[in-house]
Amino acid sequence: MYRGGPGMLAWALHRLTGVAVLVFLLLHIVETSMLLYGPEAYNHALALYKQPWFKPLEFLLVAAVVYHAGNGLVVMVLDLFPHATRHYRTLFWVGAVAYAVVMVPVAVIMLRPLVAP
Amino acid sequence: MKVHVRIKRFNPEKDRRPYWADYEVPTDPFDRVLDVLHYIKWNLDGTLALRRSCAHGICGSDAMLINGRNRLACKVLVKDLGPRITVEPLRGLPVIKDLVVDMEPFFSKYRQVMPWLVNDEPPPVRERLQSPEERARIDDTTKCILCAVCTTACPIFWGNGEFLGPAALVAAHRFIFDSRDRAAPERLAILAERSGAFKCRTVFNCTDACPQGIEITKAIQDLKRAIVLSRT
Amino acid sequence: METRVRPNGWEWLSWLYMRVSAVLLLLLVLGHLYIMHVVNSTDTIDFAFVAQRLATPFWRIYDLLILVLALSHGLNGLRGIVNDYTRPGGGWRLAWNVALWTVGLVFTLLGALVLFSFDPTAFARR
Repeated sequence: MYRGGPGMLAWALHRLTGVAVLVFLLLHIVETSMLLYGPEAYNHALALYKQPWFKPLEFLLVAAVVYHAGNGLVVMVLDLFPHATRHYRTLFWVGAVAYAVVMVPVAVIMLRPLVAP
Repeated sequence: MKVHVRIKRFNPEKDRRPYWADYEVPTDPFDRVLDVLHYIKWNLDGTLALRRSCAHGICGSDAMLINGRNRLACKVLVKDLGPRITVEPLRGLPVIKDLVVDMEPFFSKYRQVMPWLVNDEPPPVRERLQSPEERARIDDTTKCILCAVCTTACPIFWGNGEFLGPAALVAAHRFIFDSRDRAAPERLAILAERSGAFKCRTVFNCTDACPQGIEITKAIQDLKRAIVLSRT
Repeated sequence: METRVRPNGWEWLSWLYMRVSAVLLLLLVLGHLYIMHVVNSTDTIDFAFVAQRLATPFWRIYDLLILVLALSHGLNGLRGIVNDYTRPGGGWRLAWNVALWTVGLVFTLLGALVLFSFDPTAFARR
């Protein structure tokens, strides 16, 4: 294992979340296309998302999208201001805190039905 | 203090695959890893192969992967590593023997960015002058010693070796932003290729590892910006 | 001299596109997620909900933009990963590129077909 800094972790997670969201996007397009076959077909397709085990996955999806968006913002800050590279570690930790601040309420809203139905 | 040293060894004439060798070495906390390797080679196992030349952090010969990070063996002290030291050859380059890697792929990337001054204008009587401000623009990137620590710390370079890599980009930066040089457009065109600057994903392993403290990621960001601005 | 790569790079355009599409997606997707997963939930979303939502051209255009931007951004990102791990000029890279373009084309068409031709009244009348 190469002991990289936060940048290496951020990069690996960016790729991982990017691929994960892309896979879901393809699934989402197929499932939405069931609209063309009428209410029964579409509601049947949506039943997948109403399984109790899908809730955590749905939360992971939102977490992945928000991470990808947040880290993408950091990347763009580095692109627009090459001098910002000097403060990358600060940028990373500010981003991590902001991510936590956003994700805690989202987790509460999305996962509460699981704990207290 | 006694340190436990693990070295990833490989002799292509004898071994089918690399293996770990363990050594117990008596050291002083202020010994460098290079001294530890010397002790092993001179007292324990003379077959250990490594490269080193000046031994003072400027020739760039003894770059290796020490305790999970790329460093120069002559610039890291035993006291900063603790009682267990792990040494591996640089990643992404073919191993010739033990800690000696084939640097040719690295230097071939370096040559691709035309690392020499290009200026066909007739030379002035004395020299091509440069203001202190103009020189300051390339102060950082002229410090490169071509040790390959940055390029072989880059996960994109590990992928398939297509990426020019941080070191070649630093060299390109040093000439592109040199006020005396005239080949910036040609170099920027090379860096705009698929193998060039845009393969950088701002992982920062290069910047973290550079023994010269060059702000490599910043230099690469400068280059990306220069390419985009020159084309829009 | 080493064999010099021909300077005809357009990779910078792909790089720039990733940034531009990212900014647009940032607004569109976060809005989409907020409405679908936080304000509403997958428990309440059904055919009737979507039919009502797609009744206004605004949401059709909104979804069409997400479809095109997200697919192209995602597949171009995956192309970047493929280019990092396959041999330049090799068969695997070619195969991946053919696959990425095919998936992009088919899924854009499928998504656009739904957004352009979906007519909930056709089912309501039955």
